[in-house]
Amino acid sequence: MADVRSGAVQAPGLVAPRRRRRTAEVGRLGPVWAVPVVLFLCGFFLLPLGSNIMRAFDDGQGGLTLAHYIKLLTDAYFAGVVIETFKVAIITTVVCLLLGYPVAYFMVRYAGRWNTVIVFCLIAPLLTSIIMRTFGWTVLFARKGLINNWLVEWGLVARPLRLVDTELMVYIGLAHVLVPFMVLSITAVLQGIDQRLEESAQILGASPWQAFYRITLPLSLDGIATGCILVFVLTNGSFLTMLLLGGGKVTTLSLLIYQQFTLTQEVAFAAAMGNILLLCSVIALVIQLRLVRRKGVKA
Amino acid sequence: MNAPAAPARRRERRNYVALGLGIYVLAFMAFLLLPILVVVVISFSSATYIAFPMPGVSLQWYERVFDYAPFMQSLKVSIQIAVASAVLGAMLGVPAALWAARSQSVAANAVSTFLLAPISVPAIVLGFSLLYMLSALSMGVSFTSLLITHTVVSIAYIARTVLAVYRAVPPDFEEAAAVLGASRWKTFWHVTMPMIRPGIFAGGMFAVLISLDNLPLSFFFGSSTTNTLPVVMLSYMQNQFDPSIAAISTIQMLIAVVALLVVNALYGIEKLTAA
Amino acid sequence: MRQSLPLRLDQISKSFGSVQALSPLSLEVQPGEMMALLGPSGCGKTTTLRIIAGFSMPDTGSVFIGDRDVTELPPHRRGLGMVFQNYSLFPHMTVAENIAFGLKMHKRAPAEIGARVSEMLRLVHLDKFADRSIHQLSGGQQQRVALARSLVTDPAILLLDEPLGALDKSLRESMQFELREIQKKLGITAILVTHDQEEALTMSDRIAVMSTGRVVQIGSPIEVYEQPRTRFVSEFLGTANILPGEVTGPAADGRIPVRLDGSRALVSVAADEGVREGARIRVALRPERMRIGAQGEGIPARMRATVFRGSYYAYELDVDGSDKPVYVYADEPIEAPADGVVGLTFNPRYSIVLPAEAA
Repeated sequence: MADVRSGAVQAPGLVAPRRRRRTAEVGRLGPVWAVPVVLFLCGFFLLPLGSNIMRAFDDGQGGLTLAHYIKLLTDAYFAGVVIETFKVAIITTVVCLLLGYPVAYFMVRYAGRWNTVIVFCLIAPLLTSIIMRTFGWTVLFARKGLINNWLVEWGLVARPLRLVDTELMVYIGLAHVLVPFMVLSITAVLQGIDQRLEESAQILGASPWQAFYRITLPLSLDGIATGCILVFVLTNGSFLTMLLLGGGKVTTLSLLIYQQFTLTQEVAFAAAMGNILLLCSVIALVIQLRLVRRKGVKA
Repeated sequence: MNAPAAPARRRERRNYVALGLGIYVLAFMAFLLLPILVVVVISFSSATYIAFPMPGVSLQWYERVFDYAPFMQSLKVSIQIAVASAVLGAMLGVPAALWAARSQSVAANAVSTFLLAPISVPAIVLGFSLLYMLSALSMGVSFTSLLITHTVVSIAYIARTVLAVYRAVPPDFEEAAAVLGASRWKTFWHVTMPMIRPGIFAGGMFAVLISLDNLPLSFFFGSSTTNTLPVVMLSYMQNQFDPSIAAISTIQMLIAVVALLVVNALYGIEKLTAA
Repeated sequence: MRQSLPLRLDQISKSFGSVQALSPLSLEVQPGEMMALLGPSGCGKTTTLRIIAGFSMPDTGSVFIGDRDVTELPPHRRGLGMVFQNYSLFPHMTVAENIAFGLKMHKRAPAEIGARVSEMLRLVHLDKFADRSIHQLSGGQQQRVALARSLVTDPAILLLDEPLGALDKSLRESMQFELREIQKKLGITAILVTHDQEEALTMSDRIAVMSTGRVVQIGSPIEVYEQPRTRFVSEFLGTANILPGEVTGPAADGRIPVRLDGSRALVSVAADEGVREGARIRVALRPERMRIGAQGEGIPARMRATVFRGSYYAYELDVDGSDKPVYVYADEPIEAPADGVVGLTFNPRYSIVLPAEAA
């Protein structure tokens, strides 16, 4: 019966019926659309990687063994390659961070109209093949290349320098390819940092450098972390740069897998190497996910 | 009564930091573009080997490239694979991304992470694994295997862009359409799609570029009919080191640039500088 | 007790590209005074504040804090305090760390810093919040932290950039009083930038009304509200009904007769010097100073609508000769006659004479 004064209506003895959840809301697709791709990836992504993991335990006679991993981690040469892989990845990450942060800062704070031009320059190399870029470095730094010609012409050196086929060249090549990724990761976060925070700090007596160091830098750590993880993972996977610019002086796991495949047919061993690489990537992915989750909470 | 003396004109305080950073950024951009420019320039060299300074200008290396069957054949294969894998990747990945972007469920989060996972896996490991598994299924070295391999990666790149773009679109538009009477499908087709279409094509474009350049993935599936351009270029570089590489690289770059310009003109993807 | 300093702006001007944001502007703020810069967006008030703070360099002119010409000094050496519109609290620091920041930059001893921070927290009634993250604070609490942070270094002058804009209405009103109280207690010179006339009227000692890069009028809140010099000022501070007319006779007893356009009603308004017989003027009347009476008394008007605003009733009326509806506020509801025609009267003491168009 209706209570006229309060306007409330009470039907005696009835409980409001439970409603079924609408599976797809306004204009949204239902989960069924994800099924094909999930099946595809399970079959052609998870399965191959999984069987690869198993393959590394194969002892060639139908049994399981850890021999390949043991060889990888204890043999002097192979352990060295594993360490070299980490070393190259870490150094490249640090170099990309140092080179890339100032670019990102300039883009966000000072570039204004020029921002589009800089972004174009960062993305343009992606339109070219990595072989082209690596080839370019070879041409520039070859014995009779551009740089050496200038150096000799201007009398800075007596004889052409051996620049290609060195460790330095590999890092230059890697930085050239990977710094844009670092810059774009940092830019994404820097853009969200209100300039007024720096101004607040300055009014309170912080010099421009102090304002940057104490306010902007700590707040951009998320971008730095994302960029570093990205560069680390990409360095792990690259081998062309080492192959074409390193002259054999820089051997990482990726390069070794490539070489082993062309030279030997030790499938299980190559699989083991691949798994170590995969493990690094998975760890990096997990760290990235924890980071995103933490950021989500903070916001 | 005299007007007060005109006040002193001041010059804007010089910002040394901006200046210094600006110079650094300029040098950095030169660093980024230099190797590319060098290659383009040397592709027109009239010398018979790589030499600086260039003795003269000639189109000989371009002729050589067109005559060299492996280059042309592999270029064709590369383009076919790139486009096909992008299309396939879009057909598989876009619907899933659209669902995952809006849904808050645990399943949706898991799926979006899963979609993006291939990017984090070193391509060489993926290629290697797929070769052996597909061989076990007796699909081995073939165009189809190559296509499947590239599609796995394309899905990830396309999903990444579409997720980002769709998440950035507030649900307000779709809700407004619903209130105005549009059914779920109509809302999707008339409101959602136009807004995210640039994102889909940007992701597709990115997938194409990655695929064109993806050597580690294609390397394991090499045969005369299934070699992609990077694989052929690499072996050429290791055996004969001459400006042909520069010419074919320049051609590949031009194709990519034209494709980008066309897609941008059609679908306006440059708005997404974040893509 | 701090020595509060005066602020002097001498012929400050600034343009951005082809836009003249500030025409040469001079201003003096007395020690311990709270001066409001009031105006609509684009009037130059924020530009002025940023020049005082040092984030922007004026094209001409100088800024003096006390006797010192600080124009060439960067912001971190001017010894000012500033509260930003969205507080700009450092998100990665706690409340105490935010407040302590200024003292750290001035290299004070840790013991001193601790003591000062506690003092400030007490001043803004946030004693127990020292270790909270700023994300856990409400808008009002954040605002108080921002205030404490700006005052902890004993600045010579306090700058406030629309500090209450982000708060909801009732909170804003109580914060207006609190802020003013603290400012007076500390005796610190302060500049308040706002577009909210009520805020300016409530909080400041003097108001500088600005429009398109110029100061149009400076005066105490009462002066600016009751004796606006232009239509813009009269309409920006409070609602004003503008009725154009012609002076029909000489001034007598501080009053002049005016025949209003349109209605042809004859009214008596407060005499303004320099207004002579035959001159065209505009009469500005505040809604709260007008009375609705019977038809035939005063200015004829037709009632259009009534709105209940809680503390008063607002009536909208049509008056011949006014380009916009005329508003009258009354404490009690008024019965409208059948045909809706009434008469409007007012005390000439509260009438405002404005020059004819072009002001």
